[in-house]
Amino acid sequence: MPLLEINNLNVRFGDATATPVVDGLDLAVDKGEVLAIVGESGSGKSVTMMALMGLIDHPGIVTADSLNFDGKDMLKLSSRQRRQIVGKDLSMVFQDPMTALNPSYTVGFQIQEVLRAHLGMSGRAARQRALELLKKVEIPGAEQRLDAYPHQLSGGMSQRVAIAMAIAGEPKLLIADEPTTALDVTIQAQIMDLLLALQKEQDMALVLITHDLAVVAETAQRVCVMYAGQAVEVGQVPGLFDVPAHPYSEALLAAIPEHSMGAARLSTLPGIVPGRYDRPSGCLLSPRCPYVQEKCRQQRPALDPKTQSLARCFFPLNQEVA
Amino acid sequence: MSEIVLTARDLTRHYDVSQGLFKPHATVRALNGVSFELEAGKTLAVVGESGCGKSTLARALTLIEEPSSGSLKIAGQEVTGATKDQRKQLRKDVQMVFQSPYASLNPRQKIGDQLGEPLLINTKLSAAERREKVQAMMKQVGLRPEHYQRYPHMFSGGQRQRIALARAMMLQPKVLVADEPTSALDVSIQAQVLNLFMDLQQEFNTGYVFISHNLAVVRHVADTVLVMYLGRPAEMGPKEEIYNRPLHPYTQALLSATPTIHPDPSKPKIKIVGELPNPLNPPSGCAFHKRCPYATERCVAQVPELRTVDNRQVACHYAEQFVV
Repeated sequence: MPLLEINNLNVRFGDATATPVVDGLDLAVDKGEVLAIVGESGSGKSVTMMALMGLIDHPGIVTADSLNFDGKDMLKLSSRQRRQIVGKDLSMVFQDPMTALNPSYTVGFQIQEVLRAHLGMSGRAARQRALELLKKVEIPGAEQRLDAYPHQLSGGMSQRVAIAMAIAGEPKLLIADEPTTALDVTIQAQIMDLLLALQKEQDMALVLITHDLAVVAETAQRVCVMYAGQAVEVGQVPGLFDVPAHPYSEALLAAIPEHSMGAARLSTLPGIVPGRYDRPSGCLLSPRCPYVQEKCRQQRPALDPKTQSLARCFFPLNQEVA
Repeated sequence: MSEIVLTARDLTRHYDVSQGLFKPHATVRALNGVSFELEAGKTLAVVGESGCGKSTLARALTLIEEPSSGSLKIAGQEVTGATKDQRKQLRKDVQMVFQSPYASLNPRQKIGDQLGEPLLINTKLSAAERREKVQAMMKQVGLRPEHYQRYPHMFSGGQRQRIALARAMMLQPKVLVADEPTSALDVSIQAQVLNLFMDLQQEFNTGYVFISHNLAVVRHVADTVLVMYLGRPAEMGPKEEIYNRPLHPYTQALLSATPTIHPDPSKPKIKIVGELPNPLNPPSGCAFHKRCPYATERCVAQVPELRTVDNRQVACHYAEQFVV
């Protein structure tokens, strides 16, 4: 049984008739796996994980056939029960390390807070453990940093502290929401190395939310491509990058400057992601898709198995003729 | 060789920083001796991590701030020591596109008025003529005529960056400085905006100074690449030379750290440790020596001068050893 199993997740803001922000999402994450969710802004990557953690407030409406994490249905839990899981077995690292930490408390206090709340540690033991965690995330001079305030740390250091807090409860699943977007490339490389090393060492599953396909290619085992709230393709990492089945995956890959060596123009997908009020009745990509056919404009495809991956397309690309 | 539109010689910009009431002021050398030439229709890309002086350079080039020393020539005319009137004239020739299209457009002004404002201030065109020019430019950047009457909040990020670019190109400047123009955009939108940048450059033969930390984007747009570290140039040369055979250890590390779509497991990544040093208290000798895997005693003691090695300029004592 997978560690995380999401079936038919829908998230709406407003009333039950509002256009869903996440639309019928199915996703499973195995123990110890690195899964990446990629997509452009507004594709529903972050909202999916927020829904899982119960962080969607009114007027958001979360419905799902099942939202199982570690054998428990997250939707059926009381807030108290959920709070015991979130931050311990299931934790998250956010995009902007400068705002993820509380500016009024020292780094040590904030890490110890996790230890007190979830592991019942206190006093000297908690401080000792916090120090170990800081060393684990490779912060130089960990002893002094324990009493530092967030404003005294650089962006990369703050992100390391945020990671230390996230792994304090030895989570089974760590969600990293654009963990390196706010950082420079050399620091980004350091943080990604650290996350992967921790993932291997603690055998935890890692869900990496990102818009950077190159980061995905280097780190993930499996990738889920999202477009306008739907998963459009789910597949293994080198496979999907070499032979994408969905036209959107292909277009995303082609738009990367790295792929257009020497060409004067980058290949682009015309238009923009459909908004709340201009959803096409057929396939959501149909107004922008270069391979569109009549059927695509009328019916919505389902996420079906293709030769290499699961894809939501009637006329998938790169399929060998059987 | 075509016309040289921008020449910088030993450009520096120092800031005085107060460290407290009774302590002496410290100096941050945000820009410390940068020289280059830019031809019309070509692109100089400036890369480096935050705090390396990229944006300070942009502010100096666009006459937002005066350089502390050095010389800057725009279209052959000296900027340092120019009178107020001359500077006003020069500003027409240098325009800028900023990073965030959400912050760089006035939310209370219609798009048509924002695009017409450079003409209103700098030319004597009538309202009808201005409108005609604005409409023509809007068409060129892919905006529809009805957008003339709209406000910035009605546009997406990509469209706003088109508007910002259109506004910068209204006066047909000789130089366009773009400070991270696509880092706030999604990949597919980034591709559209980069294409637009390239199209306009061809059309107007503008020289671009393109500031970015994304090496994949730089590789696509640049002719010449300038890599900066802590206010100094580390390496500068033709794009292909720099990308194929980087000679400065910092350039090597930057290129190696950049994730790629086709990772090659046989090529080990160069790991550089630590972070950018405090600019208030820069290391002695080569500013990079604390993070450099090849650093020697000479690097600690002596600042490497920028010199020509193998078709490019590089500031490393041991650059020759990296030439294969």
